[in-house]
Amino acid sequence: MLSFMKSVSSIVTGVNRLFFLLAAALIFAVVPILLFEVVARYLFDAPTVWAMEASTLIFGPHFMLAGPYLLHLKGHVAVDIFSEKLTGLPKVALDVFSYAVIAVFAGVFAWVSWPLAINAYSLGETSFSAWNPPVWWLKFVVPLSFALLFLQALVEACNATRPAQDQTGASA
Amino acid sequence: APIAAKAQDAVEWRMQALWDAGTTPFEFEKKFVERVSELTDGNFKITLFSAGQLVPANQAFDAVRAGAFQLMKTFDGYEAGKIPAFAFTSTIPFGFPESDQYEAWFYEKGGLDLAREAYAKAGLFYIAPTVYGEEPIHSTVKIETIADMAGKKGRFVGLASAVMADQGVSVTPLPTAEVYTALEKGLIDFADRGDLTANYEAGLGEVAKFIILPGVHQPTTATSYVANQGAYDALPDDYKAALAVAAREISGSLRQHIMVQNVDVLKKYGEQGVEITQLDPADVAANRSKAVESWKKATKEDDLANRVLASQIEFMTALGLI
Amino acid sequence: MSSEFVLAIMFASLVGLLLTGLPLAFTLGALALVFTITLWGPAALSVTVLNLYSTMTSESLLAIPLYVMMASILQRSGVIESLYRAMELWSRRLPGGLAVGTIAICTIIAAMTGIVGAAVAAMGMLALPSMLKRKYSPELAIGTICAGGTLGILIPPSVITIVYAVTAQASIGQMFIAGVVPGLLLASLYIGYIVLRSALNPSIAPRPDNDAPTTWEERIASLKSLILPLLIIVGVLGTIYMGIATPTEAAAVGVFLAFLSSLIERRFGWELISGVALDVVKVTAMILWITIGARAFVAIFTGTGGADFLLSFIQDLDANRWIVLAIMLGILFFLGMFLDEMGIILLCVPVFLPVIDFLEFDRLWFGILFLVSAQMAYISPPFGYTLFYMKGVLPAGIGMGTVYRAIVPFILLQAIGIFICALFPELVLWLPQSMIN
Ligand code: NA
Ligand code: NA
Repeated sequence: MLSFMKSVSSIVTGVNRLFFLLAAALIFAVVPILLFEVVARYLFDAPTVWAMEASTLIFGPHFMLAGPYLLHLKGHVAVDIFSEKLTGLPKVALDVFSYAVIAVFAGVFAWVSWPLAINAYSLGETSFSAWNPPVWWLKFVVPLSFALLFLQALVEACNATRPAQDQTGASA
Repeated sequence: APIAAKAQDAVEWRMQALWDAGTTPFEFEKKFVERVSELTDGNFKITLFSAGQLVPANQAFDAVRAGAFQLMKTFDGYEAGKIPAFAFTSTIPFGFPESDQYEAWFYEKGGLDLAREAYAKAGLFYIAPTVYGEEPIHSTVKIETIADMAGKKGRFVGLASAVMADQGVSVTPLPTAEVYTALEKGLIDFADRGDLTANYEAGLGEVAKFIILPGVHQPTTATSYVANQGAYDALPDDYKAALAVAAREISGSLRQHIMVQNVDVLKKYGEQGVEITQLDPADVAANRSKAVESWKKATKEDDLANRVLASQIEFMTALGLI
Repeated sequence: MSSEFVLAIMFASLVGLLLTGLPLAFTLGALALVFTITLWGPAALSVTVLNLYSTMTSESLLAIPLYVMMASILQRSGVIESLYRAMELWSRRLPGGLAVGTIAICTIIAAMTGIVGAAVAAMGMLALPSMLKRKYSPELAIGTICAGGTLGILIPPSVITIVYAVTAQASIGQMFIAGVVPGLLLASLYIGYIVLRSALNPSIAPRPDNDAPTTWEERIASLKSLILPLLIIVGVLGTIYMGIATPTEAAAVGVFLAFLSSLIERRFGWELISGVALDVVKVTAMILWITIGARAFVAIFTGTGGADFLLSFIQDLDANRWIVLAIMLGILFFLGMFLDEMGIILLCVPVFLPVIDFLEFDRLWFGILFLVSAQMAYISPPFGYTLFYMKGVLPAGIGMGTVYRAIVPFILLQAIGIFICALFPELVLWLPQSMIN
């Protein structure tokens, strides 16, 4: 049972790490796109209709998909004035409480954003700009990110109850 | 089916407007809310929120569908990427030159029913439009004909960006907040933003010395009062009537207010040294026929969008506009 | 539910939950959920999510990853370390010289962007390691960066100024110009404070150990390290002010130039790129997830009228105009302790401006007082967003308590800044008026 839990937890963390690395790589694409736009508009008087919009379409997935693994890295900022002084059971209890709150938050956001994504997909939503690309897929990034955060919060809650040497090291 | 409340029942709704608090159109939304209350002996109370207070203006559609608030003032074009018919129920680039013509299409030519059909699909009820005139084009270079715009860098959004691109403009999609700086620094040559008064207040006259009228990219505008269907169905009939009456009143009174305001604000632009260029109506009409092809592309072959456009083209033809 | 009650309970639960160590992003988000469900019912939950889509596609927020990327490249390729070495050589007689130099760099970055998260995270990565390495006290270094990072609100370009101008129906250009002098005034106040503090207590900003006087050759040679940072500054500012690029596009130009610098420094390679990628994604996700929570929280706070009684109090207040003004600024500061600046502007500007007109104060001048207050809100505990962005880039071992202590003197400096601007309106109005004439 314990080893099953461990493998579930490492699968969840592994999947989230993959999304995190994907998100990290994505943002580099923005630089050449925006440079292209600047050159096209200023030197050739031929602005594109797609460059800025494409950049913003990358931006959302970049930070949304990175959120779940950032939880594993303890990268979401908190006030540690009191919590850093705690040890033992009170610390475990507080950690589990925090991850439970995060799981509820993520679960509800995933649940609320799912029908919005389905609706955008069924209407084939486009951005209605001059470029007018499909944007329904962007709305799936939201429930996906929150579902992954939900799972990661559960994993972290379990990890918090285990002795420290048992936990996988937090590294990117 | 929800049981209709009795006339004397108190109903409380939340509404998000399309406008920032303090602007002229927002003042008219306050009047709308007051008028509805007055017509229902103070029993139908609508709490008004300004644009972005609850959700960003372009997300209000989904918020009302979900019932987060019951009523919104919206610009149909925000959702044209989902429902192509909305491209034509909000503003038509090179479309109806007179507000009265556009409003007549809604009330006399079946436009209201078509708009309701479009919204019904989403579980929303279209109450009525507020129809008013043009948004100007602000330019840093002198433009006297539509042909002059070709090859120059212009900022437009929505259907106008596609239509203006087809007219040869190098369309640069910039966020509204960037328009002032982009004109000032010469990033773009001309831009659409808001109406004459809003643009004057944002200081566009300081950075763009030419105004082009009529704003062919948005000659007339319709914004919409739209309610959550379930909430609307639960209203007593006289409350529903109050919404319709107040909406129609606001449409006329805002339009007339803008007409008067434009005279004053054009004078103020003049004092700033801004030159007003009037496009030749024949030039506009000639390019309207060209724009018809751009409109047809925007229907995405959607049945309802095709019907809306066909109905508008028929009316424009009858009016001798095409 | 009464407005006072909503305000009290939201504020109390925010503080309480935050103190449990729950990250800010989820504290805000979870409270938004609880209050939406209890006050409006589950149907209204979509409000919390719908605010997210426009954050995801915001062109101006896109500046955040780009500035973090620029900062990370410069930090990792050693460009910044040589810049601080040069500052050290040149400023050895100036108490707190490196912190003063940091304020100068912050002022330059303020002219490139108005996105506070971008400036603070970038400066935290750039300046903090170099100052800590030279044994500057963490409080002085952190306070300097947090306060300096918010200068971008006043010094154009600035998104918040645009939002204010649009809501207040003021000219964007005049608001921009009016912000310049007060922005520089605040920067001078920070510098004055740093010099004074460091002179009185040299241990918080130690001078270089080596007492041997540096030769002019050494000093001149050190100027070489200015070339690359200057190239980037000229590149970014030049593209913005010559109308070549929007501020966000200019940030991409800056990233490109930073990569070029790393090539020149022979540090370009996989190690640099992977390190930069991780810096960018961690910092950006940290900031933007806070933004998600904040937008949801502000929406429900506004919607349920949490600030209504404060606002109606101002409307009905019958007192001396200066007292009314002071109370207004006090309300801004209080709300700023837990709302974001967009929320404050949308809530307060429409209510305050008619009062300002009635009292016959100048709108432009009030706008600047408003923006300095917003800037103060950005650094005010417990929720000043800047403090959290800063914490996100701090080395392990420095806690939030240090950040809170670090910021207090700078909040007082902000208050002095507001007081000076209120007392001498010409400081604000002179530049825009002389530009018109
Ligand atoms: Na700025
Ligand atoms: Na704050």
